[in-house]
Amino acid sequence: MIEKALKGGRGYWAWVAFLLVVIGIGVTAYARQMTIGLGVTGMGRDISWGVYIAQFTFLVGVAASAVMLVLPYYLHNQKAFSKIVIVGEFLAVSAALMCMLFILADMGRPDRVLNVLLYPSPHSMVFWDVMVLNGYLFLNLISGWAVLGAERKGVAPAPWVKALIYLSIPWAFSIHTVTAFLFAGLPGRHLWLTAVLAPRFLASAFAAGTAILILITFILKKVAKFDAGPEARLKLSVLASYAGLANLFFLGTEFFTAFYSNIPAHMHSLQYLFFGLEGHAPLVPWMWFSLITGIISVGVLLSPPLRRKNGALIAACIGLVVSIWIDKGMGLVFGGFVPTPLEAIVDYMPTATEISVTLGIWAIGLLVLTMLLKTAIAVKTQE
Amino acid sequence: MNKFSKFLVALAAGLAVFVAAWFFMQAGHYGSVSAHAENSPVAAAAPAPGGAPIDSSKCILPTEYMRAHHMQVLNKWRHDSVREGNRTYVNPQGEHFDKSLNTCLGCHGSNPMFCFMCHEFANVKPTCWDCHLSPMEVPQ
Amino acid sequence: MSQNRREFLKKAGLGALAGLGAAAGLFPAFALEQTDMSNFTDKPVPGKVRWGMLIDTRKCLGNCTECIVRCHHDHNVPDFGKSKNEVKWIWKSGYENAFPTASTQFQNPEVLERQVLTLCNHCAEPPCTKACPTEATFKRWDGIVSIDYHRCIGCRFCMAACPYGSRSFNWLDPRPNIKELSTAYPTRMRGVVEKCNFCSERLVKNELPACVESCPEKALIFGDLNKPDSEIRKLLAANETMQRKPELGTLPSVFYII
Repeated sequence: MIEKALKGGRGYWAWVAFLLVVIGIGVTAYARQMTIGLGVTGMGRDISWGVYIAQFTFLVGVAASAVMLVLPYYLHNQKAFSKIVIVGEFLAVSAALMCMLFILADMGRPDRVLNVLLYPSPHSMVFWDVMVLNGYLFLNLISGWAVLGAERKGVAPAPWVKALIYLSIPWAFSIHTVTAFLFAGLPGRHLWLTAVLAPRFLASAFAAGTAILILITFILKKVAKFDAGPEARLKLSVLASYAGLANLFFLGTEFFTAFYSNIPAHMHSLQYLFFGLEGHAPLVPWMWFSLITGIISVGVLLSPPLRRKNGALIAACIGLVVSIWIDKGMGLVFGGFVPTPLEAIVDYMPTATEISVTLGIWAIGLLVLTMLLKTAIAVKTQE
Repeated sequence: MNKFSKFLVALAAGLAVFVAAWFFMQAGHYGSVSAHAENSPVAAAAPAPGGAPIDSSKCILPTEYMRAHHMQVLNKWRHDSVREGNRTYVNPQGEHFDKSLNTCLGCHGSNPMFCFMCHEFANVKPTCWDCHLSPMEVPQ
Repeated sequence: MSQNRREFLKKAGLGALAGLGAAAGLFPAFALEQTDMSNFTDKPVPGKVRWGMLIDTRKCLGNCTECIVRCHHDHNVPDFGKSKNEVKWIWKSGYENAFPTASTQFQNPEVLERQVLTLCNHCAEPPCTKACPTEATFKRWDGIVSIDYHRCIGCRFCMAACPYGSRSFNWLDPRPNIKELSTAYPTRMRGVVEKCNFCSERLVKNELPACVESCPEKALIFGDLNKPDSEIRKLLAANETMQRKPELGTLPSVFYII
């Protein structure tokens, strides 16, 4: 079926060529990182994780959000999603792939990556994360591909496919829960040491991921003349609005607990992110932008007349994705390291090399997504 | 016969030809090896300037064994001493040795080229010297 | 190609073939010799010894760096000259940085100004070993939290997990940044995490850790915390001491007399 991704118009090939150029830049930057070391990044002794891990955290959420289509369609027979369930599954595949590439890019010794399997350590959350992420990637790839193949032949998918799809539903929740546990189990990092982190991760994932799905349906409508239909988008926008609301609520509870209890260690990271700490305030504008954009976007999505207007819906979805990307893809990871265990306040700024590698990995993910969706749409429209 | 079985037969035939060819090549080599058995790479190496050839007969295990298995021995030693604190190795003659790369270098280090000659020859690139000081770096 | 190299390659090829054949049961006479591991013996009883350190901050002089210099030289700790890439095993921190949750209101100003030696606490309940996905860092039989540099994948999870900031990562190749190579201990390679090892390479030779030995004021006391009559246990019983962040339940093995 994949050969269908090799047939396309001028616009399609221009997009693929653009992605290949970005991938080329990323690979070059990664080669530099491999030769010199992770010292070429902005990370250091005190802020020891940076954009790579932050992107990873954000993208695990995007991967998990496929469940927002799979669950209503397969468990609640929501026919409106029949055309785009495959979009969710393939988005999950490409997001999970990007997650793994970001982990690899962040490793000091990627040559030893198989040590994780050679010396399995169930006490380590990373071990579980590697397991569930790989499992999720293959669950979605296999089930999505099998359903698509059956559709092409005009037959019902084999019974085992259903089993994989049902398995992928709890699995989606597991990947983001385990990702939250990577952070939430570490003593002495107070921004992360909170039981609400896993629920908050799931809420922000289902908000941002669903918003991305809505945006993809608009893009597919425009570039591929493949319309998921206004009903599907409307249902997704309701899901995104409540998930976004839950995310804001959880953020509010974090503020309450930290500031009402008045325990310095619990307040420090939030102070650093939103108000600045001892004169260090690099993320303050970002965090406020994220918060205000998030509130406005959720407000728009919650209003039935507004979310029916395509322009408002698109703007709100972009706002929600950007808001959560800043909150999760920047603030949560960088802010968790401030102040350091020795009460120092250190700022982090990614380098050009780091950003190039990041863009390169995003481009790989987008290329995989483009090819998978091209195949899916070709099958569905019987080109 | 359908297409797939034809493909399998072709694959098997190709594989058989390849294996047979390889076997004959190797068999040919075997004859010449026995003719030059004494001409092994380590024993024939010229002594490096400033260092006498190593008397390998006093090694922890016979030279032939060490030549083939020193990496497994080092791996095992590393695991035992670093991770389990079991540092004493007793060889079949009852001699005791500290499970440490330094035990090896205690003798072989006197020839700074000892490790390198063979590794260079065999084109293997062990990563030992990324961290451990090699005999070439330590003043004799 | 030299004669020797050709011979060697022939032999190696034959060995590979013999191995294949032996695996297939074709010609057992050619089977490769197994590595003989029969004589690798005895190991220590885990948990019998628990090494610990007591630092007398009253005796430790403000501007003295003897122990730091000695430790960093002996262990080939690189100096990158930039705090971002800094690698350190033992260093001095302000009192409030080392003990951020200790009482500081109306505290004796002399105490607040003290520089406190900080190093890996070799916790009895280490969060770092739990976070490590390959068991590259692990608690040894004698309580030392050790790193197997051969196995570390450089994910830096242990750094995020350590509540004491005791771990450093080799962001760049350390070798060119070591002023004077020491033969006492190997260097590290780029991309692995490192930290204080309580001088396990010296303990095995029955020597005290380098920092303890080098302290001109004898402010560092090292010993077995599991031995009730050891000097360190007697001093712990006789003095008021502190551990860093005891509320986290990590049970540090480094104690401080204030």
